[in-house]
Amino acid sequence: MCQKESEIKQNPSHFEGTDEELEMSKTIQADFMDYVKGMKFFDPHIHMTSRTTDDYTALVDAGVVAIIEPAFWLGQPRTGLSSFKDYYSSLVGWERFRSSQFGIKHYCTIGLNSREANNEALAEEVMEILPLFLYKEGVVGVGEIGFDDQTAAEEKYYRQQLELSKEAGLPVQVHTPHRDKKKGTELSMSIALEHGIDPGMVIIDHNNEETVESVLDKGFWAAFTIYPFTKMGNERMVELVKKYGSQRIMINSAADWGISDPLAVPKTAALMKIRGISDEAIKMVCYQNAIDAFAQSGQINVADFETPQEIDQSLKFNGNTVLRGGQIPRVDKNSIFIS
Amino acid sequence: MNVKDNLFEVIKTNASQKELNWIETKATSSLQSLQTAFVATTRFVSKTSVNTFEKLKGINFNTWNLDKLVRSYFLVCLDVADEVSYTKTLNTLFETAENNEAVALISSLALLEHPENWLLRATDAVRSNIGIVFDAIAFENPYPQEFFSELAWNQLVLKCIFNDKSIHKIQGLDDRANKELAISVSNLAHERWAAGRTIPPQAWRLVTNFLDETIFEDIKKVFDSEDYKNQLAAALVCKNSGFLPAKNELKKHIELEQKVKDLSWSFLEV
Ligand SMILES: [Zn+2]
Repeated sequence: MCQKESEIKQNPSHFEGTDEELEMSKTIQADFMDYVKGMKFFDPHIHMTSRTTDDYTALVDAGVVAIIEPAFWLGQPRTGLSSFKDYYSSLVGWERFRSSQFGIKHYCTIGLNSREANNEALAEEVMEILPLFLYKEGVVGVGEIGFDDQTAAEEKYYRQQLELSKEAGLPVQVHTPHRDKKKGTELSMSIALEHGIDPGMVIIDHNNEETVESVLDKGFWAAFTIYPFTKMGNERMVELVKKYGSQRIMINSAADWGISDPLAVPKTAALMKIRGISDEAIKMVCYQNAIDAFAQSGQINVADFETPQEIDQSLKFNGNTVLRGGQIPRVDKNSIFIS
Repeated sequence: MNVKDNLFEVIKTNASQKELNWIETKATSSLQSLQTAFVATTRFVSKTSVNTFEKLKGINFNTWNLDKLVRSYFLVCLDVADEVSYTKTLNTLFETAENNEAVALISSLALLEHPENWLLRATDAVRSNIGIVFDAIAFENPYPQEFFSELAWNQLVLKCIFNDKSIHKIQGLDDRANKELAISVSNLAHERWAAGRTIPPQAWRLVTNFLDETIFEDIKKVFDSEDYKNQLAAALVCKNSGFLPAKNELKKHIELEQKVKDLSWSFLEV
């Protein structure tokens, strides 16, 4: 659903960066975490359903305190309403619980994704149950919705969901297409405006250099997905922040079932720090802007993740609290003994 | 007063005027609208804790928050005249429930019309790995005591012990103690001992009335434990049991016998 498509380009076998980058690669510290110690991060787009507990552990270690999991497609089309219902339920149920075990506050956006909007018979049924989920606690937006192939059916359900967002007073998280991105992005924005939606309530996702200017000019939020092997690597992200500043810009990992990096936000923060971007700007792009945008839902209470939460003992899982005194039990991957 | 009016009285003393207005409008609306209101409750009602001495059908609302109480109230407001619609509405709520909604539903089971019809939802909650959902059926909930079969009851209690949860918060714990459960507790202890671990001391209370030659061997072993609380547990079992060899065994442990004279299981409740 997210940034990459089939054209995954593997790591180049030799260094292709600038001289300056080559120099930096020799001098920077081995551990990127050294650069972002004490910083807090908010990843507003990550599909934890597809990730393991190792990833949750890594997120905690890197300072990610809260996340938003948008509803998306699962890699293959669902064939019935119950699959959608169970998926949405899992976002506000099991996955939310799993995340809480690591002390990470889990929010989600709920919507019918563009790909599956093309199965109109099923889409009609899904539209009927969406309101039931949109009003749930911790649902911070309608998302991720928008265009993929830019078909008539996609447009139809995009429009209907924009109306739902207005009714529920929720922000909209818009997925922009891989192919013909610029046109799809412009279309998404003009339709939102046509429906009388305040651009300040809309987060346009998966931007690049070609789309960002128009998005910011029109008053929308511009989100960037940092995804390995694709066009938007984090070095270019740093350049973008240098050029456009830190207002209404946010980054995310969009980590999912594809090759992706759940640590994209803290890693990019580290790179920004190395490249001389101010701590204040880093905080805006990697934390505050996402909160400001999605807190318009009325569903984000920053105290839930800014003050370290005592993990409720009732959240014990199979007799173990994952977090005990703030410590996550570690699995020693190198040990042959499992105890 | 019926349950509905009782609940509303408690809500009245805990909600703001603005909250009350919203609640009253919704309470008298259609099934569909009530269903949405149940979901949207936290958007209009705060999560302040409830102050009340009221206890209804064995439910102690003092440990509840206002949003949970209001959700429970909406459930008893559902029109029961059309049983098909009533059942369908509740099924939808169960199947789409967010975690806090699930807790409100499970905690309110005893207040529903024909509560026995919701047994599968209750036992599903026992199967849940989500802590708060499991706790909602296990603790301070009158439903299991009244409606669970022995098998379901034993699963509930064993899962609590297995997960080191506080079994004394299960309503009817001593009343529904049974031989099968006592054997299971003994088996669990053997498994734990094999792994170099133990069961929580208070779990032994469940064997008190079902001591036989076999389980009595366990109790002797618990007496020999190096942990004082385990020794006390063994002594309490013997003190309260009618099994003669147990009575005699306790006399061999003079200090413990003295100690448990004025002691009840509440001392070991954690
Ligand atoms: Zn996505």
